[in-house]
Amino acid sequence: MGYLLHILVMVSLYAILAVSFNLLIGFAGLFALSQAAFFGVGAYTTAILATKLDLAFPLPLLAGVLLTAGLGILVALPALRIGGDHLVVVTLALQIIAVAVMVNWRSVTGGTDGIAGIPKIVLWGTALDSPARFLPFALAVAAASVALAWRLAASPFARAVRAMRENELAAQAVGKNVVAIKLAVFAFSAALAAVAGGLYAHYIGFVSAETFTLDLTIYVLAMVILGGTGNLWGSLLGALILTALPELLKFVALAPDIADKSRQILYGLALIAILLLRPQGLVGEIPTRRRRVVVEGHGPAPLGATAPADGTVVVEGRGLMRRFGGIVAVSGLDIELRRGRIVGLIGPNGAGKTTAFNLLTGFLRPDAGSVTLNGVPLAGARPHQIVRRGMARSFQDLKLFSRMTVLDNVMVALPRQKGDNPLYVYLAPWVVAAEERANRQRALAILDFVGLGERAGDTAENLSYAEEKLLVIARLVATGAEVLLFDEPLSGLAPNTLEAIFPIIRRLAESGKAICIIEHNLDVIRGLCHTAVFLDEGRKLVEDAPEKLIADPALAARYFG
Amino acid sequence: MDLVAQLFVDGVINGSHYALVGLGFGLIFGPTRITHFAFGPLYALAAYACWTAAVPLNLPLPVAAAVGVAAGAVSGVVTYRVLYRPFERRQSASLVVLIASLGLFIVLENAIGVVFGSDTKVVARFNADVILWGDVVFTSVQAWQVAALVVIGTLLALFLRYSDYGKAIVAMTDNPEMARIVGIDTVRLTTLVFALGSAIAAVPAVLILLKEGATPYMGFSAVFMGFVAVIVGGIGSLRGAVIGGLALGLVENLGAWQIPTEWQSTIAFVVLFLVLLLKPRGLFGRGAR
Repeated sequence: MGYLLHILVMVSLYAILAVSFNLLIGFAGLFALSQAAFFGVGAYTTAILATKLDLAFPLPLLAGVLLTAGLGILVALPALRIGGDHLVVVTLALQIIAVAVMVNWRSVTGGTDGIAGIPKIVLWGTALDSPARFLPFALAVAAASVALAWRLAASPFARAVRAMRENELAAQAVGKNVVAIKLAVFAFSAALAAVAGGLYAHYIGFVSAETFTLDLTIYVLAMVILGGTGNLWGSLLGALILTALPELLKFVALAPDIADKSRQILYGLALIAILLLRPQGLVGEIPTRRRRVVVEGHGPAPLGATAPADGTVVVEGRGLMRRFGGIVAVSGLDIELRRGRIVGLIGPNGAGKTTAFNLLTGFLRPDAGSVTLNGVPLAGARPHQIVRRGMARSFQDLKLFSRMTVLDNVMVALPRQKGDNPLYVYLAPWVVAAEERANRQRALAILDFVGLGERAGDTAENLSYAEEKLLVIARLVATGAEVLLFDEPLSGLAPNTLEAIFPIIRRLAESGKAICIIEHNLDVIRGLCHTAVFLDEGRKLVEDAPEKLIADPALAARYFG
Repeated sequence: MDLVAQLFVDGVINGSHYALVGLGFGLIFGPTRITHFAFGPLYALAAYACWTAAVPLNLPLPVAAAVGVAAGAVSGVVTYRVLYRPFERRQSASLVVLIASLGLFIVLENAIGVVFGSDTKVVARFNADVILWGDVVFTSVQAWQVAALVVIGTLLALFLRYSDYGKAIVAMTDNPEMARIVGIDTVRLTTLVFALGSAIAAVPAVLILLKEGATPYMGFSAVFMGFVAVIVGGIGSLRGAVIGGLALGLVENLGAWQIPTEWQSTIAFVVLFLVLLLKPRGLFGRGAR
């Protein structure tokens, strides 16, 4: 009986670990190999503080959690800023260093002997000194951890995370600080692993470096993949199966060394087989329900605060230059965008139009030249900062968050959301809930404004091409930016759809937005723009009223030639 | 001063080993961007194949070495075709491929342990000559480690620069999408880089077998140091991988001058962190996006 209860305690601890790892892999799409190290740092910190300083539970555990989260942030920050594969190699290095420190820093960690005699947790005068006494506590902590993780996964923060996972550039373009988001998830995941570590130290009463090696990370990884990365319940199931299974295998008589290796082989084969045969794991992703969206009463004004369309200069680009290798993409470009005016950017393919957008919005750094927004220089500002200061752009290839709903595509872009901050999610949930209600109304109003109100509950990938284009406009409007840069918002649309979109863009200008659109269709330029800028080979050739520009035979020759 | 000279020479020797492993790993990672963890146990497999040919089968050493290299190349190709290609075909996320590779890593590492046992396998009949250079001592195997880097590095550079396949590999490293568009058969090319990269990695594996013997766990440090050399040098730059590997070896050994030896293995990672902090794209990385 005691044995069975012991297994259940271990299942609870592994469940915490698996959920923490799943937050990283499944939820944020990040991959790190240091979960065992975080578990170990939590366990060792708890062990050291509880034995050497005689601190009582929960202080050592809390210290371990804070230390581990801090360590995680410190280690991950440089890698997260670069992105890609760097996190894997950096966390692998962390894993190895952590074990080396545990083994070599003998005066503190006891070296290879580890630390024994860690006091048991005492709660209300009862020492949790047996599996039967520890189990309820372990279950409670596991449940609390899952609840915390689940709360996070159902918050506005999670919407930003999903957007980031689907398309990092687009997430930045709606004002999300993707590095901060990743860092927050990473720190949270590390902290949760440390909770499991602290409990482990108190429960077993002994810690030793060999417990916290890469093998453990892979073991927990197998739990996460087996259960499925799509939701947290899968990780619980994975933890249950992979904790119980090896115990059952113990009844098969094998030499201990061979048995251990066979078990590892089994985990490895299981990983590969699941990924090949059932990549979603045992419990697949719970499909997003098609939500019925009901508008209560009249929505707020879709465009928020408006400004006089008085032609004041908002954006000023001066002498912008950018080269790629030997090719000059943009050279000596001056551009002004004014409140209430629509500027068309035309020119042959490769003229540098999209590069100009990238330079204005911080997606590329200019080699020379400067951009100011309301007189404030933007030098060095990152894309999400520029969006927050009031200039946003769309992409030629749309970059919608196609697996999110139409409503979520717009809601995620709304500015200054408190719910994007996990601290608000946990400490002031009522503030976040009220904000969500308001944002929802706001988003629906914006969708109504572009004519997509009916489709709010649909998944974005189910939209028609024209509807996708409308959603791009809605998402851009939702950022609340006063300067809107549209990269070919109307390309590929039928003439009658064009007629429907024209008034939308005009009304944006009338409400005081400064607008710039890249467009190939001269009818659009003529019908929509106040001025047009002709770019060729990265240089501005002419800036004039559209009719004059289009009538210029020399330009026509360049354009069509 | 003698000690420093000795540590420097040791650093160049170990650095050459890391550089060669980094070349093998980087040649695969650059064009394919597959985080090929199984590179480690395949490297070990090459050493064990060589040992099997040399000891139980008692073949001459050069033949055994050739068996090791061939085993490396073949197992590399099989891994790509059997494990990675199915994921590639269904356009799985790179995360999925990475986890599958990790799966193969533990399967192979432990399978080698089950088949060959966990003890160190050595080729007992082979004895390296000791070479004295003033006060500096090294063995013939260590000299081969440096020579192997020079020879293979030069051949690889020539191959990449002048042959059609080599140019295609460089193009694919720069931009896989573009390579596909201009009609490069990327599957065939990927097969080739798996063969070449695994064969290159088999050479340091065989040399380590002769130097220290083989263990089932030898692959971990290989894939890890190869990976670190590539990141330190800059992804996509093989010159960077070589210099990254040499730098790791030098720092590790020169560090031993002042730092207790039990910390030696962690020095490399400190270098990794410093490089990522100061030059996020590595020493020879391909510019900012």
